[in-house]
Amino acid sequence: MARPARTDLLQGTLDLLILKTLALGPQHGWGISQRLRQISEDVLRVNQGSLYPALHRLEEHGWIAAEWGVSDQNREARFYRLTRAGTRQLKLETDQWTRVSSAVARVLDASS
Amino acid sequence: MVGRIVRRLRTLLRAGAVDRDISRELDFHVRMEIDQRVRAGLSPEEARRSTLRDFGSLPAVREDVRDARGMTWWDGLRQDIRFGLRTLRRSPGYTTAAVLILALGIGANTAMFSVVNGVLLEPLPYREGDDLVLVQQSVPAFNLATLGVSIPELYEYRERLASVRDLVEYHSMSFVLLNQGEPDRVDTGVVSANFFDMLGVRPLHGRTLVDTDDDSGAEAVLVLSHEYWQSKFGGEASVVGRVLEMNNRPHTVVGVLPPHPQYPRHNDVYMSTSACPFRSAQEANVATVRRAFGALQVFGRLAPGASVTHASTELAAIVGDFDDRFPDVYQRAGTRGEVVVQATPLREQLVQDARPMLLALTGTTMLVLLIACANVANLALARTVRRGRELAVRTALGAARGRLVRQLLTESVLVAGAGGVIGLGLAALSLELLTGFVGRFTPRTEQIGIDGTVLAFTLVAACATGVLFGLAPAVTVRRNLAGAMRDGGGQAGEGAGRQGARSVLVVAQVAVSFVLLVGAALLLESFYKLSSVPLGYQTDRIMTAALFGNFSVAQTPEEALRLNTAILERLRATPGVRAAAITNAVPQTAINPLQIRVRIEGGADENPIERDIDQRVASEGYFDLLGVNLIAGRDFRITDTATAPAVAIINQEMAGLWEGRDPIGRRFAVVTNAAPAWIEVVGVAGDFRTFGADREIVPQYYRPLTQVPFGGGRLLAATAGDPMTLVPAIKAAVHTVNATIPVEEIQTLEDLRSDRLSVPGVTAALLSIFAGVALFVTLAGIAGLIGTAVSQRTREFGLRMALGASRGSVLQLVLGQGVVLVAIGVVLGIGGAIAFSRLINRFLFETTPTDPLAYAIVAVVFVGAAIVAAVGPARRATTIDPLTALRAE
Repeated sequence: MARPARTDLLQGTLDLLILKTLALGPQHGWGISQRLRQISEDVLRVNQGSLYPALHRLEEHGWIAAEWGVSDQNREARFYRLTRAGTRQLKLETDQWTRVSSAVARVLDASS
Repeated sequence: MVGRIVRRLRTLLRAGAVDRDISRELDFHVRMEIDQRVRAGLSPEEARRSTLRDFGSLPAVREDVRDARGMTWWDGLRQDIRFGLRTLRRSPGYTTAAVLILALGIGANTAMFSVVNGVLLEPLPYREGDDLVLVQQSVPAFNLATLGVSIPELYEYRERLASVRDLVEYHSMSFVLLNQGEPDRVDTGVVSANFFDMLGVRPLHGRTLVDTDDDSGAEAVLVLSHEYWQSKFGGEASVVGRVLEMNNRPHTVVGVLPPHPQYPRHNDVYMSTSACPFRSAQEANVATVRRAFGALQVFGRLAPGASVTHASTELAAIVGDFDDRFPDVYQRAGTRGEVVVQATPLREQLVQDARPMLLALTGTTMLVLLIACANVANLALARTVRRGRELAVRTALGAARGRLVRQLLTESVLVAGAGGVIGLGLAALSLELLTGFVGRFTPRTEQIGIDGTVLAFTLVAACATGVLFGLAPAVTVRRNLAGAMRDGGGQAGEGAGRQGARSVLVVAQVAVSFVLLVGAALLLESFYKLSSVPLGYQTDRIMTAALFGNFSVAQTPEEALRLNTAILERLRATPGVRAAAITNAVPQTAINPLQIRVRIEGGADENPIERDIDQRVASEGYFDLLGVNLIAGRDFRITDTATAPAVAIINQEMAGLWEGRDPIGRRFAVVTNAAPAWIEVVGVAGDFRTFGADREIVPQYYRPLTQVPFGGGRLLAATAGDPMTLVPAIKAAVHTVNATIPVEEIQTLEDLRSDRLSVPGVTAALLSIFAGVALFVTLAGIAGLIGTAVSQRTREFGLRMALGASRGSVLQLVLGQGVVLVAIGVVLGIGGAIAFSRLINRFLFETTPTDPLAYAIVAVVFVGAAIVAAVGPARRATTIDPLTALRAE
């Protein structure tokens, strides 16, 4: 199963971002979107309409696992955490991302 | 990969819970967002409104999430099913026909499979049941398939066998049990103490047998079967400890068995070996009588690592040793190795007679299902033609081909599923009948039933059937599109390819039905021949009963003779009894001859010859009672006593050994190591079928009961009226001589005859029913094909007739098409039938599997029936009004 998800760049990027966020520790959906926003200094705003399908797809793949827990505000929330397969997938996708983005950067440099 | 599938399945199975999860999760997100906006300074109402606005459509998000989880695939299937059900409801004719045809096919297969599963596939219901082996002794030279193990033999096997552990003994008796004065005849299994422990059967109440129960003089104990306990003691646990009377002594009930199939056969009660009067009487003779109580079944458990072959080799070595030590017992014809011994897996032994029959019937039902499939595929194809426009429109509106194929397959699987459910009901209804039938071949019927395995089989059969017959219309979906759109209705749009496919299906049905019909015809022919074989003896108003060999009543030959003479005298004095005899040769009670090697004395210049001859014992009056003529010589007389010269009556077959010379007064002797004891031939009796209509007449000789007395045997009584009304009088006659002799297995000779015929009769009937179903379904298929062809060629026929073709020539044209298909099918069927009939050859009596007459009759009947079936729809072609037809489109 260790293959990078062959989807369009945007979706692939979102998957990578989710996996990276969860590598820092278990989190619920809302928390993930907040964290992405904070870390990217408001550059990346994830639409809920993309976030939740992505979370569930990653769960079907077995890269993340979910269970119900209690949030800081004492509300029931669905917490996601990275699985071992997810850790491997994160490494794979990070490498790919680095490769692609440096390639893109090289192309952009050449043309300027 | 597996993890993925498991997760996917879990998602589908928990679809409801997953839906709730998604809603709660999104709800949580919305609340958090609102809270945040409130903290940022918005009023709660304002925060709520703006959040929901930013969030967009909640249901749309939920749908996307479900999609991500692969749940929409499942939704699509549900949609297909709903749509399929609606479409099927709209064509009730097709749906009903298809469901019923498949129900017949699947039902027949489910019924057969539940029998095959229970008899052949399930392991024996015992601890490591497949390790159980039977020690089987036989004497092939005397045609004796089973030579019961004697007590001394068992003791030696038990001591010496290393490859088989825990040898247990079993024999079955019929005793009268007195329960508070109420007599009840019970089938009693007499077993060694380790019997139940070896099989791993634990008692439901009390205990089973323990070692000390086998000690001679031990208190007699009984273990009740679950059924007997339920029916006679109302299932009360307090029965343990109750004392019942049996064989004139008290027996204590020590335990009750669980509701569990019993092997080797079903018994009401079980007792220890020491409690059986016959068995324990022989225990005293173990040291002197080598074959003491040679009536035991012995089985045990293979030692770890030992194989059946290993056990057989070891057994053969031990019997070789018997040969050396007791030549006069084991070398009756003077040669070593007469007694053959081998280890047989118990399961194998229990089902060997049933296997070929079950396999033949299973093959038959599978063919029936194939025909049903082909037929429904044809119906479905015809229906797809009519739905051409619908499918074309849906394609035009953007439905993918895969989606349409899926839709069609869903429909066909739905139809097959409904057929499966009804088929399961049919199977359940027919199971009792079928079990009774199979019970004639094997004692292993107790595990026959519709269980999880059978349900799984039906499910798989239904799905496979659905896909199989659904594939035909599904693969033609695309091919049809352009034409269907152009023609607008699919009326004339059926391509040559599809008509070809339907023709191929009809040909296949004809071929397979032909095979089944030939099988049925051969079995019926065989059954007819079997029932019309002249038996050579009378069966009218004659009854027989077994007088159980009672060792304690007649210990010596003299006592046995006195007893038999007294019983015969009493019987002959009973009003209504015309004649009576005692014998071990009641026709059709034995299947195989008991052959003894005898030397036939020649004249001075001739060499003596040796032959294996079946030996029987009969009292005087035996031949007369059976209506068998004495061709030469005389009947036995009561003066043929033990001290008088030894005499015999021989049958014609044996008389032939003297090659045309008069055998009366000539002599023969049983071959032994000792000096020959010559027996003089005093009579020749006409040949008759002792072993049944399907068995050859073999050379036989009869010795008089007065010279070869034995305890037990069977009595024969010819009566003036209905023999069964005399049963009480005959029992009373025996019991005035000795009240302890059980009179059992009371039957008329007519019963015995029809009983033996019932197996081939029922087999032929079963196959005929299957073949009939196949024929019916196939004829319906032919009629359907012609019908569609006619309605599709309406315009063509109208044109032909407008141009002057006569009605007759049009009819001929249409019928001709059908006849060609049937003819091709029959030709293919002949090949199949030759192969199939070889499979049923073993059930055929004096009938060649390739009997040309049977084939010809079936072919003629088939073609005739096909024409009759096709005439109805074909006539419609001739009633077409040319004008209407031409105007129609």
